[in-house]
Amino acid sequence: MSTDAIRIKRDVVRIKRNVSPASIILNILKWIFLLFLFAYAVFPVIWLAIASLKTNGELMANPFSLPKVWQFKNYTKAITVSGIGRMMLNSVVISMAATALNILITSMAAYSVSRFEFKGNKLLQTAFSSGILVPLNALMVPYFVLISNIGLYNKMGGLILVYTAIGVPISTFIVMGFMKSVPKELEEAAVIDGANFYKRFFTVIFPLSRAGIVTAGTFQFLTCWNEFVYANLLTSSQTVRTIQLGIRYFTNQFSTDYVSMYAAIIVSILPSITAYVLFQNQIIAGLTSGAVKG
Amino acid sequence: MNVKRDEKIGVLLFLLPVLILFIAFFVYPVIYLIIMSFNKWSGFDAPVFAGLANYIKIFTDKVFIRSITNNIIWALVAGFVQVPLAVLTAILLSYKPRGWKVFRTVYFFPQVISGVALATLWSAVYNAQYGMLNGILRILGLGHLEKNWLGSLDTAFPAVLIYWVFYVGYFMVIVLADIQSIPEDYYEAADIDGASRIRQSISITVPLAKTSIVTCMLLAMINGMRQFEQVYMLTNGGPSNRTSVMVLYLYKEMQNYAYGTSSAAAVVLICVGTIVILTLRNTIGRPNY
Repeated sequence: MSTDAIRIKRDVVRIKRNVSPASIILNILKWIFLLFLFAYAVFPVIWLAIASLKTNGELMANPFSLPKVWQFKNYTKAITVSGIGRMMLNSVVISMAATALNILITSMAAYSVSRFEFKGNKLLQTAFSSGILVPLNALMVPYFVLISNIGLYNKMGGLILVYTAIGVPISTFIVMGFMKSVPKELEEAAVIDGANFYKRFFTVIFPLSRAGIVTAGTFQFLTCWNEFVYANLLTSSQTVRTIQLGIRYFTNQFSTDYVSMYAAIIVSILPSITAYVLFQNQIIAGLTSGAVKG
Repeated sequence: MNVKRDEKIGVLLFLLPVLILFIAFFVYPVIYLIIMSFNKWSGFDAPVFAGLANYIKIFTDKVFIRSITNNIIWALVAGFVQVPLAVLTAILLSYKPRGWKVFRTVYFFPQVISGVALATLWSAVYNAQYGMLNGILRILGLGHLEKNWLGSLDTAFPAVLIYWVFYVGYFMVIVLADIQSIPEDYYEAADIDGASRIRQSISITVPLAKTSIVTCMLLAMINGMRQFEQVYMLTNGGPSNRTSVMVLYLYKEMQNYAYGTSSAAAVVLICVGTIVILTLRNTIGRPNY
């Protein structure tokens, strides 16, 4: 059969299939399913956003009504009562520092492991990637002891160190995948030009693996930003509190002022939503390269 | 200048920071936990060797048994309900229905919100007086089903367990990317043979996307083993420890200065996690990690 004949036959099959009664029912079920998941993903957030603009009285009377007057003062109150500004700043500093450090050291390691042959190379690759599966939350006792012993308990430095470390396996894994795909010839050309190990890394490999590095970085940033367990365990005072910890304290701070608490929650998730809108391609690519490649 | 020698030093130097962190934060902690689990330690005075006392204590503690059971249920639901739902969604989106990219973006969206924020959001949904769930029931005329979802013994754990099952975005994205890398020819050939879409999904898509599906199951189940935030924020293990999980248990032991017991619980968690990984590997297939 010629290619055209195959195409026509295929299209006939596809068209026939689409008009059978069974396929129409399946089609309807498909759309119900897809739209249900859609509503499920957005509805609670939208509900919370609307509730955050009502008065407490309106919320009690009817959880689904729209506010008569949009209560933007809930937000002013949320921001002043919760001290959310400081916590955001702490989160930004910690997440940025941990991301920068993590990306620098993991791309260095990925360069060594993915482009040079040495004894134990394979073992290291396996070790790093199996680190992804370690249930980190189980390591509370040793992390607490370690961080306290080196004097970083209740310091931003402690969280930066822990976050840099816990992202090591996944970042190395992602960056390694990208570095393996940089052609050997490019590096050999640089060797002939007299570029040494370090120069080749900074001028050839690092720039050419940028896509992977941005991906790993976005991922790492979100992990740090959203991390709760160790922020909770390794800090005690308000001055180093991150935004995720802040959310935990909202319930106490606002007690029965639910609408202001909701406003504070909305404010605290806005940066994640913004990051997602801006970097969704990197985030999705990061997931994909992390799990499919390799 | 000796290029090879220069390279050797470079490779080592570049590996060093990651190697140190990996040993300090992944290898050493596990060894530390194993040693501590055989000791009695309050965190202040020196640890005292206690043999199997910690293990005996946790395995005779009803709360810990309840926690393990909850974690296993959690992992099974994640691996065998959430992931199949994600695979189904990925298959549906792989045919690129109208707006599939919008669906993909929206499905993934809850994943960027932190576990704590999502849990707080859902505690508002479940709230007995003004929550969204009771509100919906009232609108549907099912007011008699209204409940204090997180406060009742029979609904607390299902409520904590169920809300994230329909957040399939994370696994859907992984599987979808894998499905999209399957050559179109296979489906064309199947079309010509008259295989239905469902048949094609079972015989072509799922087997060829198996690695990513297994990877997702693995990630989902490990995730089920290390749950903390959701339970901590929604119920803190209550009512009467119905919703406790292993990480919450070891956290509470630690707050009580029972570091040895906490370590033993952590070792059990790691063992159960390893068993899950090995079982999956040897039955369903090899994941990517």
